[in-house]
Amino acid sequence: MSGIITVGMADYKTAKSPDLLMTAGLGSCIGICVYDQALKLGGMAHIMLPSSTGSQGGNPMKYADTALELMLRQILDMGASQSRLKAKIAGGAQMFSFPGKTPVLKIGDRNAEAVEQELKKHRIPLLVADVGGSFGRTIHFDVATGELRIRTINHGEKVV
Amino acid sequence: MEVTQCQLDALREIGNIGSGHAATALSTLLQRRIDMSVPEVWAVPFEQITAIVGQLDTPQAVVYVKVEGAAPGKAVFFFPVESAGVVVQALFGTSEERDLFSDEMAQSALKEVGNILVSSFLIALTEFSGIPLQASVPALSVDMIGALLDAIFLEEGTLDDTVLFIDTQLSGLPKIEGQFIFLPDEGSLEKLLGAMGL
Repeated sequence: MSGIITVGMADYKTAKSPDLLMTAGLGSCIGICVYDQALKLGGMAHIMLPSSTGSQGGNPMKYADTALELMLRQILDMGASQSRLKAKIAGGAQMFSFPGKTPVLKIGDRNAEAVEQELKKHRIPLLVADVGGSFGRTIHFDVATGELRIRTINHGEKVV
Repeated sequence: MEVTQCQLDALREIGNIGSGHAATALSTLLQRRIDMSVPEVWAVPFEQITAIVGQLDTPQAVVYVKVEGAAPGKAVFFFPVESAGVVVQALFGTSEERDLFSDEMAQSALKEVGNILVSSFLIALTEFSGIPLQASVPALSVDMIGALLDAIFLEEGTLDDTVLFIDTQLSGLPKIEGQFIFLPDEGSLEKLLGAMGL
């Protein structure tokens, strides 16, 4: 029996096949999936902000850099091989726009950029980045196949 | 900042007065009775917002207004898509179903509802505190509630370990339910409480 492991905001979870990982309602936040397909295990993080730099304590799983670091440590502890790790990400939307005002630094874009940079730093190839737009996403990830199912309210559903 | 019990009570009172005005405005607009819950003041980590809004990917119509003036903040009014549909029908006086995702008339009606609600809330708050506050042009989005709230709370790219906001439930028959959140920016709370001598 496979179960669905739900990842909350500012949290991460790891899973082994046949379990699936899921996080709901990503807006400007990003869901980061990292997996070792040979061992059929991996993890998913739901990050909210780009960087822990300058933050005073608090929950490290809010930030792209610290959350990824913690999750990777756990995935490697489970026996995954660093060289086999691959990543897929989704989220980073800009949900609202005010007429006449263009935000200089959109938080969704900044999140996406930070996550991409952190993955590069850890030398993890990013296979899929379904980021941006102006709509929410709910994602399911299968660590065995690497399939990422992205569901939206009004922009369809796809598997990447 | 540390919030004392006395200040929490004052905030609840702000919520009471402001939301009372907002509920009355909605009631007048829709020509229906609208009930309001006792406002709750939350000081919680943002991650716990699921306790307040339920399932994060439930579609809701969200009107987001920025509060401008000496004590800025954010005001958010949201209702389940079905309720939003009922509100639009009540406004147009028809039972015609409209697609809230694409119908511009319906969308601008919802924005206007949000605008009226927030403005009445702010007028009450201004009278109560003596601090002049204005509402920005409203923005509307119909989408997953979690996605919309994360975008609002994280907009500036920072997030305190606890977020403080006032939350009121509005309900009316048939089938109207909504929720109103007022979220003061950093520093605004002190100003509002200070103006009230707290």
